[in-house]
Amino acid sequence: MTVGEMKAMEERMVADLPWLAPIGALALAAIVAVALALALPRGRQGLAGAWVAGAHLSAAALAAGVWLDRGFKAVMEGTVVVDGAALALIGILGISGALVVALARPVVGGTDREGEFYAVLAATSLAAAVLGAAGDVALIALSLGLLSLGSFVLTGYLRASTRGNEAGLKYYIFGTVSAAVMVYGLTWWFGLAGSTSLAAIGRALPGAPEVVVIASSALVLAGLAYKASLVPFHFWAPDVYDGAPLPVAAYLSVLPKLAGLVALARVLSAALPDDTVGWSTAVAVIAAVTMTLGNLAALRQRNVVRLLAYSSIAQSGYLLMGVAALPWSDQGLPALLYYAAAYAVTNLAAFAVVLAVQRERGSVDVGAFAGLGRRHPWWTAALVLSFLSLVGIPPLAGFVGKLEVFTAAIDAGQAWLAVVAVANTVVSLHYYLRVIAPTVLDREVQPAPEPLGADRGLAVALGAATVATVLVGVAAEPLLRIAAGATMLGG
Amino acid sequence: MPLLTLAVVLPLLAAALVALLGDRPGRAPQAMALGASVLSLLALAATWVRFDSGAGMQLLEEATWIPSLDIAWRLGVDGMSLSLSVMSAVLFVAAIAYGVGPRPLGRGAAALLLLLEAACLAFFLAQDFFLFYVAFDVTLVAMYFLIALWGEENRRYAAPKFFLYTLVGSLPVLLGIIALFLQSEPNTFDMTRLVADPVFRDAGTGASLIFLAFFVGFAVKTPIVPFHTWLPAAHVEAPTAGSVLLAGVMLKLGTYGLVRVNLQMLGAPFAKYALAVAILGLVSVLYGALVALAQRDLKRLIAYTSINHMGYVVIGVAAAAAGGISAEARALAIDGAVLQMIAHGIVTSALFFIAGFIAHRAGTRDLHELSGLMRRMPVYGGLTALAFFASLGLPGLAQFPAELQIFLAAFDVWPAVAALAALGLVITAGLFLLALQRAFLSEPAERWAGLRDLGRLELGVLVPLIVLTVALGIYPRLALDLIDAGSWLGVGLP
Repeated sequence: MTVGEMKAMEERMVADLPWLAPIGALALAAIVAVALALALPRGRQGLAGAWVAGAHLSAAALAAGVWLDRGFKAVMEGTVVVDGAALALIGILGISGALVVALARPVVGGTDREGEFYAVLAATSLAAAVLGAAGDVALIALSLGLLSLGSFVLTGYLRASTRGNEAGLKYYIFGTVSAAVMVYGLTWWFGLAGSTSLAAIGRALPGAPEVVVIASSALVLAGLAYKASLVPFHFWAPDVYDGAPLPVAAYLSVLPKLAGLVALARVLSAALPDDTVGWSTAVAVIAAVTMTLGNLAALRQRNVVRLLAYSSIAQSGYLLMGVAALPWSDQGLPALLYYAAAYAVTNLAAFAVVLAVQRERGSVDVGAFAGLGRRHPWWTAALVLSFLSLVGIPPLAGFVGKLEVFTAAIDAGQAWLAVVAVANTVVSLHYYLRVIAPTVLDREVQPAPEPLGADRGLAVALGAATVATVLVGVAAEPLLRIAAGATMLGG
Repeated sequence: MPLLTLAVVLPLLAAALVALLGDRPGRAPQAMALGASVLSLLALAATWVRFDSGAGMQLLEEATWIPSLDIAWRLGVDGMSLSLSVMSAVLFVAAIAYGVGPRPLGRGAAALLLLLEAACLAFFLAQDFFLFYVAFDVTLVAMYFLIALWGEENRRYAAPKFFLYTLVGSLPVLLGIIALFLQSEPNTFDMTRLVADPVFRDAGTGASLIFLAFFVGFAVKTPIVPFHTWLPAAHVEAPTAGSVLLAGVMLKLGTYGLVRVNLQMLGAPFAKYALAVAILGLVSVLYGALVALAQRDLKRLIAYTSINHMGYVVIGVAAAAAGGISAEARALAIDGAVLQMIAHGIVTSALFFIAGFIAHRAGTRDLHELSGLMRRMPVYGGLTALAFFASLGLPGLAQFPAELQIFLAAFDVWPAVAALAALGLVITAGLFLLALQRAFLSEPAERWAGLRDLGRLELGVLVPLIVLTVALGIYPRLALDLIDAGSWLGVGLP
């Protein structure tokens, strides 16, 4: 490369910087949060949380700005693809991240290192955003590593809790192994294409020996499937959700998962264009198995957090239907993104109620929810709405999400997958009702201890997520339109 | 004025308002619920005045909702939509007046009843598949809570069973709707367009599968044997007004869908499977009657006769779908089927009230324990006798003209099916007469000496239903002129 070429490249990269503003906002969030954590006295560390929440929201706003003002572009010589999928993901991450910070305040507030918690959370969101936009396998490996590291620290944040430590360790070991497997697969791709760029890999793989492509792609899949808790890489989820602080479980169930799924969609359609080696059928089978195992396992749970963990595995299966449809239907990507948004707000609303109950009762057993309706009608309304949305009852967000993924599946000629999903929906109703029913039908087993002082942030997050759960469904048009416009650039 | 939208939105708004009332609302929830349901009924009555018989689908109201999927707030009426929604609105007024749970009606019960009313009316009036499905599922949620909260002893078992089974029914409908959406060109959820210009002109594999998806969904709802197992549990465990609405209104969601979707939009595949559907209808007729014959519990008995009566509707719809049926006979069959839906709605609602009244007084509904009710409670006994006679299809009462029309049309197509279905009439006649003789005309036992006859409220809800039963029996044109299937049915049929 001549000096002139170097200079031209540098100029291009500088000109590309505005497209990186949403990601930059999250990077800035993490850096400033570290500084705040060091500088602020222990009583004022909450300020770092406010900063991180605000930065998450700005990232979402900047994503909207880039979308409207600049359009989609593969920047930094194609390593970062700022397209509809990436921007939509950052929008979801930004809003969900802010909600999680609000949920986390009552749990981590006043602990030592509170500020650092927010800093790590921001860094993790940064990694998730980069993962969703990465157009280069080296960047994918890097962001996946950072994502795992951040999630690990968040999971084990409450150091006094042995369960939290066990969960963190489990998450880390499982995560590192699957990331290593993925990197191993990526080296095969690099060997086949002679480049780390997804676009170049996409040109090389269709012509490569099929066995090699299948083997290496399966290895690559492992790392992302782990993040999205797809079967058979889902074992960590229930233990980790249960052991981690509840807001962290909420975070893991939404942000890294959705980033993993968007990355999966990008990697598969860019590196293996036009359904090379028939991956869409394999993904469809994984989707079917994931939703089925997740739902069946959830049936047995009495611990609501574990139940939500299995439920989120099942939801990954529905989300994956959008990915499986990608090569055959232009409904696939919009379905994936819309479902992602609907799932994010719904699941956060559900976790918010569980957190509120856990704070009051110190338990997340189904029994702790008995008689909730009489004592806390608003919490109960949020719980009923969010759980029914997870079932897919209209007109809530989850229903329109299901409508979208079913449509994508049928349009892609995978009607059998839609039928499996329907059967799963019926199964899921059973365990969601097991939580809904006692809140409305039963009386309290024992009166609650002195009610805790209401936490404003938690109340606001709970209310906002619930309202969004209803609105995203009833007034689906704006989000559907965004999802429909969210094209993916080919590397 | 957008009367149809008002009819749906008023109960919905009232539901929200009722839910937000303060902690000790007194009589306010019941008053508001009753007011909203009466207003809703008035809006539908006004629609009836403006309705032009013979003009098919009309008075369309449309508002944009989700344009990128061609989903809109589309309401409209033809003879079937209007007659069923008026019937539903009447039953809701009665059910809300009677109430569920403690009297006067509480906030939760009032809000749920209103939500259920809005959903049922939206279902019958919807001309958009998205709205149609939303309404279909919301009815499940509302009824689940009504059963679970104010049902009888086994409600904790019956309520989830009801929700699960009927969700099994509604999800295939969702798949069918998506498939029709994807097949239409350009893609649409507009039901009037899918009726006017059916997607399938033949009965290929795709068309058959979509037909099957809708059929299974509506068969669970109707219910057609063997998809009926949820019904006895739900009907028996629901509170009285809940059973009234389940049998009177919600079973009609199934048969309405069968006509609106399976017949009007998927006429070609339906023609291929018409005989199979008719035989399932026949099985329902006979099975429902025979099992009802074996019941001692009055409420269970009525629940099973519902399976029998809805079976006639299914036979009528299947006859109309059969290839080679004349246009007149087809209109006759659907006129009869819709009239049967209305007649069954009114008569069975009356019967469930009757079962509720006696259970409330005597603490039992066991026909072997009850005795001499005619002498102890002459007014109750007399009204019950009328309702029983109506339900067994006595001429001069509501169900007779409906069943007669269905038999005539079915006889035209499959004489054997019609002849066997007539057996069902004999069995139901036997079982109702037996019940009447055992519990009403026998010598009163000592323990029933203290039973009081019907009070004002009970008469207030029961008498209008009996009057309607007699009116429809003597002058069925009251409804038939409105239904007028010939004017809207044939649009897209071969």
